[in-house]
Amino acid sequence: MAGYILKRLLSAIPVLLGITVIVFAIMALIPGDPATAILGSFATPENVEKLNRDLGLDKPLVAQYFIWLGNMLQGDFGQSFALNRPVIDELLERFGATLILAGTAFVLCSLFGVMAGVVSAARQYGFADKAITFVVLLGISIPSFFLGMMMILTFAVSLRWFPVSGMWPIYGARDLGALISHLTMPALALAVVATGVIARLSRSAMLEVLRQDFIRTARAKGVPERRVIWRHALRAAMVSIIPVLGIQAGFVLSGAVYVEIVFQWPGVGRMLVDAILKRDILLVQGGVVFVAACYVMFNIAVDVAQSLLDPRIKT
Amino acid sequence: MTVLTWTRRSVLAASAAFGLSLGLSAPTLAQTPPGVLIVGQIAEPKALDPAAVTAVNDFRILMNVYDGLVRYKDGTLEVEPALATAWEISEDGTVYTFSLREGVTFHDGSAFDAAAVKFNFDRMLKEDHPYHDTGPFPLAFFFSAVQEVTVIDPLTVQFTLDAPYAPFLSNLAYPTGLIVSPAAVEQHGAEFGRNPSGTGPFTFAEWRSNEAVVIEANPDYWDGAPASQAVVFRPISDANTRTAEMLAGGIDLMVEVPPVALSEFAGDAYTLHEQAGPHVWFLILNAKEGPFADVRVRQAANYAINKSAIVNDVLEGTAAVAAGPTPPAFAWAYNESLEPYPYDPEKAKALIAEAGAEGAELTFYVTEGGSGMLDPVAMGTAIQADLKAVGFEVTIETYEWNTFLGEVNPGLEGKADMAQMAWMTNDPDTLPYLALRTEAWPENGGFNSGYYSNPEVDKLLEDARSATDQAERAALYQEMQTIVQEDAPWVFVANWKQNAVTSDRVESFALQPSFFLLLKDVVKN
Repeated sequence: MAGYILKRLLSAIPVLLGITVIVFAIMALIPGDPATAILGSFATPENVEKLNRDLGLDKPLVAQYFIWLGNMLQGDFGQSFALNRPVIDELLERFGATLILAGTAFVLCSLFGVMAGVVSAARQYGFADKAITFVVLLGISIPSFFLGMMMILTFAVSLRWFPVSGMWPIYGARDLGALISHLTMPALALAVVATGVIARLSRSAMLEVLRQDFIRTARAKGVPERRVIWRHALRAAMVSIIPVLGIQAGFVLSGAVYVEIVFQWPGVGRMLVDAILKRDILLVQGGVVFVAACYVMFNIAVDVAQSLLDPRIKT
Repeated sequence: MTVLTWTRRSVLAASAAFGLSLGLSAPTLAQTPPGVLIVGQIAEPKALDPAAVTAVNDFRILMNVYDGLVRYKDGTLEVEPALATAWEISEDGTVYTFSLREGVTFHDGSAFDAAAVKFNFDRMLKEDHPYHDTGPFPLAFFFSAVQEVTVIDPLTVQFTLDAPYAPFLSNLAYPTGLIVSPAAVEQHGAEFGRNPSGTGPFTFAEWRSNEAVVIEANPDYWDGAPASQAVVFRPISDANTRTAEMLAGGIDLMVEVPPVALSEFAGDAYTLHEQAGPHVWFLILNAKEGPFADVRVRQAANYAINKSAIVNDVLEGTAAVAAGPTPPAFAWAYNESLEPYPYDPEKAKALIAEAGAEGAELTFYVTEGGSGMLDPVAMGTAIQADLKAVGFEVTIETYEWNTFLGEVNPGLEGKADMAQMAWMTNDPDTLPYLALRTEAWPENGGFNSGYYSNPEVDKLLEDARSATDQAERAALYQEMQTIVQEDAPWVFVANWKQNAVTSDRVESFALQPSFFLLLKDVVKN
């Protein structure tokens, strides 16, 4: 097992190196440079040249890449041009906020998705199945940013149950209650699509398992139906549900970009969008590499979990 | 059945949890506290160091924390004393001597004096200054004419310029000229932008990244204590979310209301503020090659485009029709006798026929959005339709803002016939000097991307720069506007009216033509 994990970790290194090359190349190739973005109307060639020199952007690209990579390996992600603070400080702060949002959404969509899928499968073609299928289809079809705006109009502007945006109250205690009231709407908006996808795939995974012999045997032995479904069948179905959860975790993380903008959640998605528009090169590069590394690590964790659940998968 | 029973119970449990979270959250939804003004900003500030920032968004905070030597008189773009009580300008216009206000201290307790003024400008301009590395200072060129700053005595400071430069005083009133505390720069170094200290009506209290910047009243302010206890600036970059926050009572003052949201604030609970500013939105025409090389075709474009329709229908009245290159907000330098080109497609067609340019194919650069560009895609489409009506086939090419600047600033030659552009400036000198002179063609490092050239305009602009008498300058600028309107190097389209909405708990708020947000006298009930 330890060997398998080590092998997977080693295989992540070329992937991450490839990502650093790609993100650096994209930032170098897109038109528009940070000096022009900072100077705006005043971007005369003379001013741009001086500012580029001040920002250390007058060196050759290859040299810039290796300086960046070398610094990053030592934990120095550089200084953000647009925010005037170390990239790593901004990243960690923002990533924490994204983890809270995406993590909550992920827990919600896994829990409700799997539950809905199991109920649907157990009651195949029954009323519960049809009702769930209908709701799930609706959920998959609504884009999260649109759902978010509608939620703001209804629950924040009209009913005033929740605050419109942000993560913490501007005044008042920064306690769990305050966080929950700010988190509820964005987490739900983010979870809805993934819940639908997970529910549909859990349903088919469960249906496949429920047709198998060991289920018939369990029922014949007189095992209570609740136990058959939630213990015997679900456990077997989890082997095919877990990779789906892994993929959905990635979707939730990338979907957070839209939701973070609509709800002004101070997360890494909103940060990246702002940084790209301002050509804040180091923040974009650092942010993408950081998020990619997390994604790769998460995938490794999913593979490991899967191999633990199903010994047939070769380690 | 067991499966469903379980689900029903779980639904109950979930609703209970939901209700609990509502109960917990109730106190956070209370109204914003009295005496504390909450402002919805369009973005997170970069830094609170006036020498290091370039964005209007950051200026809105800075103008309340710092003072400059001079400032704009309320409701105008004319300078009046601030930290300097008086000044003298030498005969030849190159030496400015300022008398400084006595007894002013920075928020950190250190004294404001001539040495502090010298520190500020040397830090920005001299590469060997010990604190020059706290930059970069992208707008330092506003003061590039300054050769030397000399301390005459603690309350007198002298600026020596390398040549007469009339916009110097209004550049001092611009945020780049705000005076920071040398002691605070020495203490915090490059971190000064997060630990600001000035002499202004509010002192910096707290900056919570991506959440809020809080400033508190300075009771000892030399020009009287502010009317509110504190101001909180919240960055809310999405315009729809900003509107929703205003409607839900999460902010008291919102800037840059999108035109489509204006109707939301029609009721008595809100006040809508509008103020035309030093902004002009125009089309650069390529006067070097193609149909627009002929002045008649350039004039025809000005006649063909229905500017009132753009201003009223596309922009919902958030802008006024522009008459010439200088915005009317520069009241002292504006030529009142200029009338905008009327919408007259017949006259346009006649001029085009005269020039033999019927049915010409034009390439038109449009941006998706950018600083001061209003609603460029919708405006570009309307312009395309108006030009089609007089027989031009216009092909639009759309670019993201930074890419757009990279295409337009180096000049339109060989690429396009026309391009959108907008400028916001603080002196009537800036835009024409950088974008209309022959010396300002792109290859010389200027912004004259359409290659307009008229020696008479060049001379007027040079003369206006070296004149120090305001009336003399005004006359020169007014003559320049008449000539430029006639030559039509641009299609003059719109002057943006900045807007803001306040709730009925806010009193004594007014927007300024400078587009700065001055909050000292604003009352929050």
